[in-house]
Amino acid sequence: MLLYINHIQAQSSSAQIQGTVTDDKGNAVAGAAVTIIQTGQGGATTEKGKYTISNITAGVYHIRVNAIGYRSMVVKAILKTNEHLVLPISVESDMNMLNEVNINTKKYNPDNLIDLQRTPMPSMVITRKQIEQMGSRRLDEVLKEQTGLAIVNDIGSGARAIGLQMQGFDSGYTMILIDGQPMTGRNSGNFDLSRITVANIERIEIIKGASSCLFGSDAMAGVVNIVTRQHVSQSQGMAGVRYGTFNTVDANLEGESPFANGKGSGYIAGNYYRTDGFNANPYLSEGKTVPPYTSYTIQGRAKYMLSTVNTLNFTGRFASRHSVNDKSYTGSPTTDKLDEDDLNGSAVLNTNLSSGLRIKSQYYLTRYATGQNITDLTSNQVTPGNNFTQYLHRGEVQASKMWFNSLTVTSGIGTQYETMDNDAFPGGKHQQNSFLYSQGDWKVSNKVGVIGGFRLEHHSRYGSSLTPSFGINYQPLKMLVLKAAIATGFKTPDFRQLYLVFTNFAGGGYTVLGTEQFAAELKKLRDAGEISAVFPNASKVSALKPERSVSYSAGFTFTPVAAFKIDVNGFYNNVHNFINTDQVASKKGGQQVFTYFNIDKAFLSGLDVGMSWLAAKGLTIAAGYQLLYAKDRGVVDSIKAGTGNYATVYNPNTSEERRSKVSDYFGLTNRSRHMANIRFSYEYEPKGITGTFRVNYRGKYGFQESNRPNGFLDPYDTYVASFFLFNASVQKTLLNKHMAIQLTADNLFNYRDMLMPGQPGRMILAGLKYRFF
Amino acid sequence: MTKYNYLKTLLITVASALLISSCTKEQVKPQLQDGKSTVVNDLPGDVGSTISSGFKTFYFSFTTNAKIDSGQKKSSQWDISFAREYNSYVGINNGTNDASLGFGGTGKGSMVVVNKAYDQVTEAPSDNVFTSAAITSAGWDSGNGSGWYFYDLKTHLAVPVKNRTYVLRTADGRYAKLEMVSMYKGAPAVVTDLNWPAPYFTFRYFVEQDGSRNLSTKD
Repeated sequence: MLLYINHIQAQSSSAQIQGTVTDDKGNAVAGAAVTIIQTGQGGATTEKGKYTISNITAGVYHIRVNAIGYRSMVVKAILKTNEHLVLPISVESDMNMLNEVNINTKKYNPDNLIDLQRTPMPSMVITRKQIEQMGSRRLDEVLKEQTGLAIVNDIGSGARAIGLQMQGFDSGYTMILIDGQPMTGRNSGNFDLSRITVANIERIEIIKGASSCLFGSDAMAGVVNIVTRQHVSQSQGMAGVRYGTFNTVDANLEGESPFANGKGSGYIAGNYYRTDGFNANPYLSEGKTVPPYTSYTIQGRAKYMLSTVNTLNFTGRFASRHSVNDKSYTGSPTTDKLDEDDLNGSAVLNTNLSSGLRIKSQYYLTRYATGQNITDLTSNQVTPGNNFTQYLHRGEVQASKMWFNSLTVTSGIGTQYETMDNDAFPGGKHQQNSFLYSQGDWKVSNKVGVIGGFRLEHHSRYGSSLTPSFGINYQPLKMLVLKAAIATGFKTPDFRQLYLVFTNFAGGGYTVLGTEQFAAELKKLRDAGEISAVFPNASKVSALKPERSVSYSAGFTFTPVAAFKIDVNGFYNNVHNFINTDQVASKKGGQQVFTYFNIDKAFLSGLDVGMSWLAAKGLTIAAGYQLLYAKDRGVVDSIKAGTGNYATVYNPNTSEERRSKVSDYFGLTNRSRHMANIRFSYEYEPKGITGTFRVNYRGKYGFQESNRPNGFLDPYDTYVASFFLFNASVQKTLLNKHMAIQLTADNLFNYRDMLMPGQPGRMILAGLKYRFF
Repeated sequence: MTKYNYLKTLLITVASALLISSCTKEQVKPQLQDGKSTVVNDLPGDVGSTISSGFKTFYFSFTTNAKIDSGQKKSSQWDISFAREYNSYVGINNGTNDASLGFGGTGKGSMVVVNKAYDQVTEAPSDNVFTSAAITSAGWDSGNGSGWYFYDLKTHLAVPVKNRTYVLRTADGRYAKLEMVSMYKGAPAVVTDLNWPAPYFTFRYFVEQDGSRNLSTKD
């Protein structure tokens, strides 16, 4: 690692291009967009037609010039290290080109030609700077502070099942992407985000709302895309370490450099993280509810320019986690061990033709392996938790081109193959699907923009499905943008819902069977004389259909003054074929036998508000709020019809049982009606001081039924009380910004609740970071 | 400058208001001691067994407030049995009821469900009720209306049915009332771990020694 940094020290490079854009008569052209196609660097020309692009890595580039009333133009330029090239450009007038020029100086993304901020559904970006200011270490810590997102425990799937909830959808409905490609490895649908370090992340992009149109199955609630470092312009190295409460250590080492005279660049980073974990349960005499763990991550990227047109990109990430949680409830000791390995790798060929056509050809591989078991130390009985190895291979070709300076069309075609080897399934399982998608982003006029697209997917088991989406925005006034979108989502049943054969010997002895195994396994149980009754619905068990959703979203962005912006967005997600477990048989001991059904319809609707205000120089106040109604339509209908247990509500205070009303129904468990956050960030540049103070609020949410079982959360059931969490951080840079010291405090007032096993108490960490070169 | 002061005041006000509301949430357990009843905490069942291995039944006496050796099964020494899954099925000792584990013995036990809070059950029901509505054991309430716990479908944890009290005739024919509180160790108000140690029984009971139907435990 250190050798690497020494080696690259010699090759710092930073070239510059400048010049004047003139028309065929020699007059300066103001407001022309000058962009390097390969890197996306650039800007608009001044009144005098001048442009300057600096900090360019040596190499061969195509520079595109767009200006109103002129023909689009591409010029080739060769740049040597530290060269200051003067490049005058002359453009020809074209009376057919009177549209406003789209000045997009955003850095061009080699991993995905679709800009995630340009999709129909609302999106947000968490920048590197924001993550650094917060002082967060793991991805779950960053995401749980965002509006409409929550990290929730799935108690029924074991003490290690924790995941991200987005707009009221369970973790299983949000796709987690790394550089645009899906990550795998879930525990009963829950994706534990604490396995991902944020140390080497450039930014996090979040789309809220169905995004199957671009990403296929699973992107029903939305998408979280982790973008790793993409652009390297100079040689540098960084070392950082943080230490604090719960013996938490977060150590990072990274180095990056261009090489081969600017034709190539590389970046490599390592992270070590450990924590003792945290216990929120007063009944535990030993052990944690946030398990202790040690994790290593190594990740890197290499880029090599094969020619002026073709660039190769390689990305790789390997993460390993080891966790042992020895638990004791003043006796009854158990040990819960987890080992997981996570590998992601990509080889990408980026082709940028001078016509403006960009093509990305990619092969992606991910492997996730986990082994987790709980051993009872008294009886040596082992309760299997999660034991599987999952592979996903994916090949994809993407192409994008802008037409008439206003319409960008991006299309892709690909195929993926997935294998699953799980101890709880009989034999290895696999599935394959192929897909084709296209998205058009059209700036119809200065006031109207339209984004539309579709995805056609063919699955080896579920056949073809089409998921379209469409969004429109309209800007009647300079300060107001109105937006509306409709999108579709789907989720194919996961391996577990098809193949699981699981009897929980530790937790009641109930059995869960995947639909594909159901008939054979039920027969086995019957032949063994274990079944006492088979319910009529057992005959209805059939091939599961994919879950489908339609997301509607409408809102506005209001910017009355430059320093203040407010975003208001209403959303409504209608889910069909919702997959749920239902009892199909009883065993002789009364234990239930469950399988999966496409039963109910659910809806998740609400309002998402975000605002940011530059209150004073250096002081930004940002706030967010989400209102959510998450309900199962089947429950609402059953209450109305007075079906079975749903007909009554029992009030334990008065010992009265009465007819239930629809208003008694709080909604799905784990969902808060209200969530809010406010963030103050302050930056005092002369002294290099930055600080943040954040408050997060989560309204009460249902934990489980209590009193009497009636199938839904009524006002007398168990709820997790509403709470506020306070976080603060302060950072100061020293030695000409080479060094930074930081102090972070999460959960400042040490709020704890045993009903939130995954919420750690107060954490105070001190950090030191040093940047070489 | 005044603008900043205003902002500062606002910040302090908001922060202190929030501070007050930010404290640790405790899950409060109900007080079981009432001065008259006997409270049993964390009586271990056949701990370490699983559904596949089966659970060994044990027998409990209200008179000695202790487990009784299973060799005494056919006697009137015990009042309630803990059988089946997680020892969670509480049964009576009745020599003439073939569903009772005391069948063929001398026990005179019987049991009825009263859907009232424990302290509000002040009198044993009439013999008629004991004849028409008697149950032999109470465990998982899968909709039968007589069990003492149910499973939450999301968390897969056993939750006690609230305000459900059992009125018993003990093995020697005295009236008693029984409330089952928890089968999890420590009897937490809410169980938050799928692997919380079980079965450890917490329950309380009151036996009317004078043989009358008076079951009041209020002072």
